[in-house]
This record gives sequence, structure tokens and C-alpha cells, in this order.
Amino acid sequence: MKRTTTGSRWRPRPAARATIGAVAALTLAGVALTACSPASTSPGQTTLNFFQFKGEALADFEQIIAEFEAENPDIKVVQNQQPDADTSIRTLLVKRRTPDVITLNAGGKIGELLRAKVFYDFADEPILKTINRAVQDIIADLAADDGEVNALGYVNNANGIIYNKAIFREQGLEVPETWDELVEVCERLTAAGITPFYGTLADSWTVLPSFNGMGAYPARDGFFDQMRELGAAVGPDSAASFQKDFAETGERQAKLYSYAQEGFRGRTYDDGNGAFARGETAMYMQGVWAMNPIKQANPDIEAGIFPYPMTDSADDRLLVSGVDVAVMIGRGTPHLEEAKRFVEFMFRPEIIERFAQSQNMIPSVIGAKWSDEPALQDVKPFFDDGRIAGFIDHQVPAGIPLDALVARGLMENDPQAALVRLDNEWAKVAARTIK
Amino acid sequence: MSTSTSPAAAPGAPRSGVRMRTYYWIVAPMVLLFAFFHTFPVLTGVFYSFTNYAGFGDWKFIGLSNYANLFRDDRVLGAYGFSFLFAITATILTNVISLVIALALNAKIAARNFFRGVFFVPYVLAMLIVGYVFKFLFGTSAPRLLAGIPLFADNILTNATWAWTAIVALSVWQACAFAIILYLAGLQTIPVELYEAASLDGATPWQQFRTITFPMIWAYFTINMVLSVKGFLQVYDASVALTNGGPGTATESVTMLIQRGGLSGGEFAYQTANAVIFFIVITIVSLIQFKGLGTGEADS
Repeated sequence: MKRTTTGSRWRPRPAARATIGAVAALTLAGVALTACSPASTSPGQTTLNFFQFKGEALADFEQIIAEFEAENPDIKVVQNQQPDADTSIRTLLVKRRTPDVITLNAGGKIGELLRAKVFYDFADEPILKTINRAVQDIIADLAADDGEVNALGYVNNANGIIYNKAIFREQGLEVPETWDELVEVCERLTAAGITPFYGTLADSWTVLPSFNGMGAYPARDGFFDQMRELGAAVGPDSAASFQKDFAETGERQAKLYSYAQEGFRGRTYDDGNGAFARGETAMYMQGVWAMNPIKQANPDIEAGIFPYPMTDSADDRLLVSGVDVAVMIGRGTPHLEEAKRFVEFMFRPEIIERFAQSQNMIPSVIGAKWSDEPALQDVKPFFDDGRIAGFIDHQVPAGIPLDALVARGLMENDPQAALVRLDNEWAKVAARTIK
Repeated sequence: MSTSTSPAAAPGAPRSGVRMRTYYWIVAPMVLLFAFFHTFPVLTGVFYSFTNYAGFGDWKFIGLSNYANLFRDDRVLGAYGFSFLFAITATILTNVISLVIALALNAKIAARNFFRGVFFVPYVLAMLIVGYVFKFLFGTSAPRLLAGIPLFADNILTNATWAWTAIVALSVWQACAFAIILYLAGLQTIPVELYEAASLDGATPWQQFRTITFPMIWAYFTINMVLSVKGFLQVYDASVALTNGGPGTATESVTMLIQRGGLSGGEFAYQTANAVIFFIVITIVSLIQFKGLGTGEADS
């Protein structure tokens, strides 16, 4: 269940993921059988063990592997698709059976693996220069600050406010670029009898996309470094705290939810996707991952996405984006050269373009063509200028029930109380985490 | 076989020796399986509760720090508060309702077996499935049907103060099925002559219940109480299905906190310490119940 899901809170739909997991498990059994067959490797051939976490990308990677093997007859790649990748990679690491090439979601849980130095250092590899700097910065925020590059960003998602272009056009509204403009858009929609937002508090994780999108601003200047340093000392009077630094963010998030539909406390993510697809509300606080279910409900919807405008200047806007797929090589693999060849193949523009298109994600390679999904095209300028930031929930220890606390704050319309609770949890977790 | 030819052996002895050996062979695998799959993991868990183990990687002993921190953690205390409030309410409701229904089902009513079947159905259904049906009822149907009552109009499941009552409703609805069966079994052990004698003496139905029925099914009442409290204290699936611990952490039970914090929260050792405490708490509660309720049985 959602549960589970803490490491990649912004990856939606636990139910779908469970289905994917089941399908993946079956597929995995198939892969394992093939892998066991001794006849599959001819003499002189190197077998690369490819650990892959994304169930919905199984077929895309199969295709990449087939093309790679055709070009490199001396290498065989075995895709090992893992339904619960965060756990199984740890099991493999404990058993010292690190796979040769690894993909993982660069969520909160990848941080400790990066810091544990179990992956190859790409710092001097030429391939690093082909990747958008801003994407690598998101990964660097999760890793140790020692100049090593242990993971390469492959495809990214984008998190912002999804809006119905048709409604905006009919009402003569422009995409808001400052906080005041956003409030004005909400007011004008309300005056025209249109509900601005659809809230889905019954699925508490759905408060995190907006919390991440707005919280990126106060988190910009090393907020979380400071919080980690303070640890158990975080409180009302500490140099940094959620209750102080996030006070405005909390208030503004509550303000946006005050524009949500009647009864938003009891609605779910599925309700929200359906309602937005039917044009019941003009905006929706979700990332591009919601575009798939929305388009399933209404293939003709004209939807775009814009970042949370939290400042008074349009140029200060930040787009929050997460690295959905990161690529690593196991440190100390005996097949380093072959693994590098495979990774370089994956990052070829035509290969990554096709993958990103199929997954509806943003390719990390500079100059690679983007999916023609209009919602993605909307945020392209932010990527090109490097005005992107990572998900702040990845910086929050998993022991803190962030989604539940934020959701309760919105539920009771008391964001400040939620931030105080958040500080309290932060201090407690820091106090009992004994290194 | 060779022993049976020995003249010194008593007639029955060899056969009983073989029989005893057979019994040991039957018991031994279970003991081994229990030790391997239950006792050993429990002891491992107790061991890890004195470390800072995260579930993987390195660890070291940190003494009683995990236990000390547990008592300072208001989230943990909140989970115990919810679990006990829930368990006490649900136990009382389950036993009162089940006993009343069992009495009705034990009377000579028409279509008695049909009704017995109907009341058993909830037990057969999986909690998660029923849970999602109830979630739909509370989240979608009730807000429309009971739009006049603010508590239901705004979805009771998202109300931090009252969401736990919805979980009680679901759990009691399902738990009654099994409790009814136990009470029915108990009621059928009471000889009819007792009631005949009582009615000759002019006892009212309430007197009959108080002095005959209830004392006679005391053992069943005891086991129902103990099983209910133990089961309800460990509430997990009802809470997962209806509220997933929310809103906030208002309906987070102890078992849910252990699972969440220990497995996905990366605090394996800390929550293992919580599990050890919870094990001790449940054991103490059960012992108190057996002792307290057991005396009542002796009095009857």
C-alpha cells in the first residue's frame, strides 16, 4: 500500500503499483528462469546483471537491451526487474552481490546508498558532461558532499499546478507568475462560479506535491543542512525550524486549499483525477504523473502545468522535479568496461528520447528531444535554464509521517500546528538516531 | 518388536512405549517448527531492540536507549492511547451485542438456522474487503444520506476526534460473528431442566438470565473477553482499510506504528523495542483478565 511508498511519495497510485508489482513478480520469475538456463551464455561472452526497479518500463528496457546486444555481441544483459527495489537492493548489498548496472528511483531512500559509496564514481566520465547540470544537482543534494558522482539522472518528472487550458482561455486568464497573480486567478475563477482547485485529503500523500512545490522556496538556502546539524535541538527557538522558515509556505498551502471544492477533506486521488478530467475544477495540485490517469478519463483534455509561483518576481520561480530513474554502476564490478558501454548506450540521445517519450518523462541528456506531451513542453524552459529544485520530502527522514502531519494541518486548517508537530518529530527522530 | 518377546516385560508396557514414542514423533516437529519460526525470531527481535540496527548494514549495541526514547515519544503514546480506547470500547460492544443476538438465536424462533448463517457471514469475509466497503459507505454514501448531520456530512473518517468510532463500528460488525458462535455453543450446554425448575419457582426471565444463563456460560464469556481484548489491541487491518492511520496519526494503532516505523520508516530496532513492550503489555492484560474473570467462574 501507500505504504510503502514513502521513498517515492510523489510516485502515485499505490493500487496500480501493487498490480505492477504482481505483474513484475511474474515477469521476474520468467526472467529468473531464463537467467538460470546455462545455454544462454556462449563462451567469451560477458553477462551483465541489470537491476531495474520500474515495472512499467520493463518492455522499454527489454528493447534497449535487445538493440545493445545486437551491437555488442560479446555482452549479454540480464534484466532483473524488482517489484520492491528499495528492499531488494539492500539485500543484495548485504550479501555483497551488487548488480553490475542498477536503476533506482532517486527518492529519499537512495541517499544512504549514495553515501555508503557502493556505486561507481562517474565524476571523470565524459558521459557526465552530456547531462543537465541541474538534474545532477538534485542527486547531489541527496548524496555526500565530497565531489563524487555515484548516480546519473536518466529521466525526470515535473511537479506543479496542472491547469485546464480551455477553462483558462474561456475566462481570459493567463498562467500566474507571482503569488498575487495566483490568488487573483483563484478569486476570478470563484467569481465566475468555477471551483479553482480539487483537493483529495482522504489520500494524505496528495498533500505532498504542493508541499514540495511550495517548500522548495524556503528550502533553497541550505535549510535542511541546517536542520540536520541542529538535530535534536530543533524547536521554537532554534536557528532553523519548520515553524519559522515554513510558516508562510504552510499558510499559503492552506490558502490554496481554501479554494478547493466543498468536501475536499473526504475525496481521494482517484476522485480528483476524474473530476479534473471532467473539467469540474480549473486547477489541480499534482505532478505530471497524474496526466496518465487524467487522460484515461478524458483523452481530449487540454491540460498544462506551471510551477508554484511563490515570489513577487516571475524570474524567481522554481520548478520542482524529481529524478524518476537514476542509473548506477556497482562499485568494484568485474565487468566495469562492459557496464560503462551499456550505460553510455542508454544515454545516447535517440535511446533516451524514445524511453522518455514512452514513459512520459523528461530526458536528462542536454539536447535530447522532449515528449510532445503539452504539459511537459510547458516546463521545458525551466529545465533549459536550470531553474529546477528537488523534492524536499526526500530530505525528511522516513521515520517522520510527513504526509499525515501536513494533511492533518490542512484538515484542521491549522498549518502552524502541523509545522510545530513536524519540528517535534524531527527533534525526536534525530535524538533516537544513534550513529 | 524384539522387546515384545522378552518374558520380563509386563504385558502392556512395550506397546505403551511404542505409543509414547509415536506421540513424541507427532509433537516434536511442531516444537521444532514453533521454535524455528516463532521463538527464535522473537528472541532475535529482542536482541536487536538493544541495538541501532536499521534493518540492513552495520549496527552496534546502544543499551536501553530505544526503550528510554519510546517513553518520550508522544507518537508512540498516542498509538497506545488509541489502541486501548479502541480495544475497550470494541470489546464491550462486541460482547454485549453478541450475547443479545446469541440469546435470540438460541430461542425457538422461525428460520433459526438461516439467521445463524446470516450472522456468521461477516466472519467469512476478508477484513480488507469489508473495510473498503465501509470506507465507501462512510466516505461517499453517508455524506449524502446523512447530509443533515455535520459529523457524517463531512466524512467521519477524516475527523480527527471521531474517526476511531468508525473503526470500532467496522470491527464490532465483523467480530460479533465469531463471538456469537462461541456464546451459542455455551448456551447449548445449559440443561433445559434448570429453566423448567426456575419457571416452576416463578423466576422472571431476567432472574433466569442472571442466575442461570450467565453463570453457566461464564467460561465462554471469559474466553470471549480475553480473545476480544487481545485481538482488538492488535488492530491493524481495520485501521488500514478505513483511515490508514489518519487523519494525521489520530487512528494509528501500535501494530501499525511498528510496521510503518520499523519497515518503511527505517527505524527497525526502535520499533522492535516497541514490539517487545507491546508483547509484555498484552501478556499482562491477558493474565489480569484470566485471573479476574477466572475467580468469577469459581464463585458460580
